[in-house]
Amino acid sequence: MIFSLLDELLIFSAATVLVALILGRGLAVGWMVTILYGGQLLVLIKMAALGYGGDPIASELSLSVMGQDLSWRFDALSWFFALITLVAALLTSWFSCGEWERKFKQQGGNVWLFHLAMALNVFTMLILLASGDLLSLFIGWELVSWAGFLLMAVAGGVATKAAMRYITYAVVGGMTIFGGIALVYAAAGSLQYEAILIAVEKMSTGQLWMLVLLFGSGFGIKMGLLPFHLWQAAAYAETPGPGSAFLGAISSRMGLFAILLVLVKLFGIVNIDSLKIPFTLIDARDLLAWIAVFTIIFPTYTALKQNDARYLLAWHGIGQGGYMLLGLVTANSLGAAGGLLHVLNYAACQAALLMAVFAVMHRTGTADLNKLGGLVARMPLSFLVLLTGIIGLAGLPPMNGFVSKWLVYRSLLEDGMPLLFLGTIIGTLGTILSVYKLIHNMFLGQLRVEHEHIREAPWSMMIPMLILAGTIFTTGLLPGIPLTWVTAALQTIGLTGPEITLGGIESSSGSLDMIWVIGVLFAGFGIGAVIFYSAGPSKRVHQLDNYAGGHFLSADVRYQYSDNFYSGLMHLIRGWYRGSFQWLENSITSLVEFLSLGMQGIYRRANSEFYLLSTALFIIAWVVF
Amino acid sequence: MSTLQKIPVIEEKKGNPLARVFDDLVRFCRSRSLFILHYCTGCGAIELPPAMTSRFDMERLGIQPMVSPRQADILLITGYVSIKTLKRVILTYEQMGSPKYVVGICSCTVNGGMYWQSYATAKKLDEYMPVDLYIAGCMPRPEAVISGLQKLMDRINSGEADSWQDYYRNYDYYLGNQQKLFGEDWQTPTDIITEAKHYELMGEGTLGDHTRLLEQHQKPLEALDMRLGHNIKESVE
Ligand code: SF4
Repeated sequence: MIFSLLDELLIFSAATVLVALILGRGLAVGWMVTILYGGQLLVLIKMAALGYGGDPIASELSLSVMGQDLSWRFDALSWFFALITLVAALLTSWFSCGEWERKFKQQGGNVWLFHLAMALNVFTMLILLASGDLLSLFIGWELVSWAGFLLMAVAGGVATKAAMRYITYAVVGGMTIFGGIALVYAAAGSLQYEAILIAVEKMSTGQLWMLVLLFGSGFGIKMGLLPFHLWQAAAYAETPGPGSAFLGAISSRMGLFAILLVLVKLFGIVNIDSLKIPFTLIDARDLLAWIAVFTIIFPTYTALKQNDARYLLAWHGIGQGGYMLLGLVTANSLGAAGGLLHVLNYAACQAALLMAVFAVMHRTGTADLNKLGGLVARMPLSFLVLLTGIIGLAGLPPMNGFVSKWLVYRSLLEDGMPLLFLGTIIGTLGTILSVYKLIHNMFLGQLRVEHEHIREAPWSMMIPMLILAGTIFTTGLLPGIPLTWVTAALQTIGLTGPEITLGGIESSSGSLDMIWVIGVLFAGFGIGAVIFYSAGPSKRVHQLDNYAGGHFLSADVRYQYSDNFYSGLMHLIRGWYRGSFQWLENSITSLVEFLSLGMQGIYRRANSEFYLLSTALFIIAWVVF
Repeated sequence: MSTLQKIPVIEEKKGNPLARVFDDLVRFCRSRSLFILHYCTGCGAIELPPAMTSRFDMERLGIQPMVSPRQADILLITGYVSIKTLKRVILTYEQMGSPKYVVGICSCTVNGGMYWQSYATAKKLDEYMPVDLYIAGCMPRPEAVISGLQKLMDRINSGEADSWQDYYRNYDYYLGNQQKLFGEDWQTPTDIITEAKHYELMGEGTLGDHTRLLEQHQKPLEALDMRLGHNIKESVE
């Protein structure tokens, strides 16, 4: 049997899991798996033709289960997501090598389990991305869910609780997806994509609605779409550092991948567009778009309230997923490209930001935004990485987030959807406010006495962070490179991308050339620098030589404004934080508890043997007839 | 330092005529764009709101309030200065970036005014920091404030208003007066002597008995430098 490149990749990935499993208790396990991730990435790069529209690569492996053929293959879309996954895995695992691992072990963490969980996550994600039919998609989906659970639960304590919450959601999601698959099977008689494509044409509106709801909510849970977003922030934030950065960067995007595959490719945007909601003006696609917008707004403003840097970023991650979905459901060339590009851009930013936060945590021992400040003087490179990341996340030039968000805004305006546009602007405002809170409370302002002597993060952490910062800038300067992959990926799901140039896009209604944008921006900085450096001698002053209405400051007086940040705004929007989603979740939990108690009552109190017997009889009868 | 010595002597301008054109331009621009930090010390402060707002509208002259001393050009002292306040005024003055100008509004800043007999009030402001201009009156009307500021603008334009250099050149004198009032252990976090060296404004009167006294107990604050690694001293600790 000759292995295809995809087989090579999967075998490599499985080997990484084995190495982590068997040699994981040894010393240099971190470095070993990092190198193996590098190897996987190399194989992926060998498949680079996919990213430029090459023919899909199939795996030699195929199984047949109960008459269903299972197959695996990679196309441009899978390649694009796999690229992000592997780069994220490589860099976060690199981050964990050396000092971080040592400290994690000292604090009682299980390094072996951590690396094993990471390797399993990567492996299962690749399996999911390679799925060639609905059944293999479902298998991949479940594997990813449980691997994610393992990584989230590694830290123990609060993390376990968050992971339990996640897995509850994930199991419910898995079941709805399973229900969807069963319905599809009933309608199409097969789970192969080709057969489904034909069957979809003949489906009734009711059937389609049912499928959109089942699949949409199942996959939406993983993405953290409203109202299924409550599990995500705590689960991601409490995961050990590099794992958190990895999950934050890519894990939820598996949901987006599945949505693209099933809702966009199989069901088709046109079909979804035709599903009207009775008595209203909107259809299923508008519904998705509005869910996306609310997913942008609510979690982002919840992020604004967080006092823990990790939670702030994790809440943000939920919101950013909304931009991607929104861009993709507009389904015009600009929006779809923007949405998919944002997956990559966001992954780079989020990983860089979380790594910077964990680097600070590594040195100071806390991520509490009320207990930090002024670290720019001690950790200038981490500051730089965080700054790059927040500019990217907020979608401002010269970083990559600007390009993807610009494309999404543009498509909304062009499609005549001003209200959705307004929603995204409100979301972006929240993003800017909260990332400012992040950088201000950690790096600006007064350096605490207890942090006088800390130093910059070790190079084993710094290098992957700097690589990410570099990526954020380069993909902002030359968005043409990733946009080419994005266009190829869009073609596999039946959408078309815009016309690409190296610096952006070419469009009759307005092009974007980031090389010019950034050139002008830096020319402005240059003028500022000339004025600054030619204006005679300047002088650095001590932080206590500061103005507080003429007050004499001393190190024991804190004059960093961090607690109750944005109190004015919070006063205005306090009424909105009613915890309605929390209430919804609690009430569902109570309902399930109540029902199960009732069941238990019947089962226990009454003649249980009789129930068992009758159930068994019923099942036998059902099977026989 | 007696007032006689303080009468400014304007030197003949010589050298590159083009350089002088540039200096003139800089001075002109400087005099047309002034930010004031109004350290409202006494009753005279009440005259500033009308001077700043639409009735007299200071901004038409290019003068605007500013909230921090680092960006401000003019320090307005608007009345009697109690000893407690004076400490803060001096700190604020020292934190301002050069060139900086001090305007004393109200008779109280000239000679203590009706607080002449008060034990808690500093009498003459210019014993503690160089004052560019006094606007006398108890209290001066906004018109007087405005015309005083216009006078200051003229002096900046002509290059006469350079008393801020005097603080560096004769620091010992001012420090002596401050020490007399606040005690020998008086110090601010700003290091004027280093600054004088930095800006090359050391004069004969910069150092003296009083600065020696200061140096005995001064704990200089060192600016935070950006640090990547750690230095050896720390790792020993
Ligand atoms: S001069 Fe008169 S108005 Fe001004 S501070 Fe003194 S007492 Fe008050």
